Amino acid sequence: MHIPDGYLGPLTCLVMYAVMAPIWWLAARAMKEKLGDKSVPMLAMLTAVAFLVMMFNWPVPDGTTAHMVGGTLIAIILGPWAAVIGITVALVIQAFFFGDGGITALGANSFNMAFVLPFVGYYVYRGMKKVLGDGPSSEMIAAGVGAYAGINVAAIAAAIEFGIQPYISSGYCPYGLNLAIPAMAFAHLTTAGPVAAVVTSLVIGYMRKNRPDLLDAGAAPAGG
Amino acid sequence: MQGLHLRGDEMEAWMKKAWIAIGFFVLVVPLGILVTWSYGDAWGEWGSVSDGNTTWTPKEYSGGAPLPDYSIPGWENKLMASVGYWISAVIGIIMSVVTVLGIAKAVELWKGHNE
Repeated sequence: MHIPDGYLGPLTCLVMYAVMAPIWWLAARAMKEKLGDKSVPMLAMLTAVAFLVMMFNWPVPDGTTAHMVGGTLIAIILGPWAAVIGITVALVIQAFFFGDGGITALGANSFNMAFVLPFVGYYVYRGMKKVLGDGPSSEMIAAGVGAYAGINVAAIAAAIEFGIQPYISSGYCPYGLNLAIPAMAFAHLTTAGPVAAVVTSLVIGYMRKNRPDLLDAGAAPAGG
Repeated sequence: MQGLHLRGDEMEAWMKKAWIAIGFFVLVVPLGILVTWSYGDAWGEWGSVSDGNTTWTPKEYSGGAPLPDYSIPGWENKLMASVGYWISAVIGIIMSVVTVLGIAKAVELWKGHNE
């Protein structure tokens, strides 16, 4: 899902940076208000976890590869604004130091993976918990469904950014929505979604069972 | 902000355990390239600017990332690429932690400034 340089036209890149600017600002402000002595080292560690899980690629049957992101996991533990910070940090390091994801596309990649993914994941998780109740197993199911929804909606967002290029800027991603959306959806509905769901569910289930206090440490739900 | 000090004795026991678990996953991270070896790339990630417009995108920079694709240039066989992948994981994790702690420090200064 890391869009490289050269696939998105200048207009798309500019718009995505413009969309992300206030989101980054709000995330910094949320961090100022909410993150405390316990949650800062936790966010540092979870950012490292996100960086690491994104290195675990696996083959997808259509000849491409995929990986999970970890944004919903951070969002459930520390709240979605903390996930914006953590995933953006991982994406910046990946883009500048490892050439993974473009620098011109950093706004778009941040929008998909550091904003859409954790927010969809988090609110689906909360909605599911309302429906299922507050038991340990409903917590795990809600976390899994949230992670599955988050990464898939993010993949669709990336596919739309790829797929609109042929209609608005020639010379960039040559594949339209008719190709981009099924390709991105396939990899994430069939592999990245289920992996993200299982991993997120297991980690949240483990934490809920052993250290429920940590789950409540940073996830102040007010204002998202 | 006491939580910023990550030195051993100050770190909570659960966090040590979590870092040990992360260490285990670092050990097996080469699986992430070995299972996709000569398989292809993620959809839409087929190379930096080869398919796109090269007039304004930072081609030089993209080619100039210090560890492109989490590898050390020239370390190309499976063993050396795995070592490069390990090194990349460790560097990436250290950079992630330092950057987040740096941002937290900056936010803390900002907070202090406002009060």
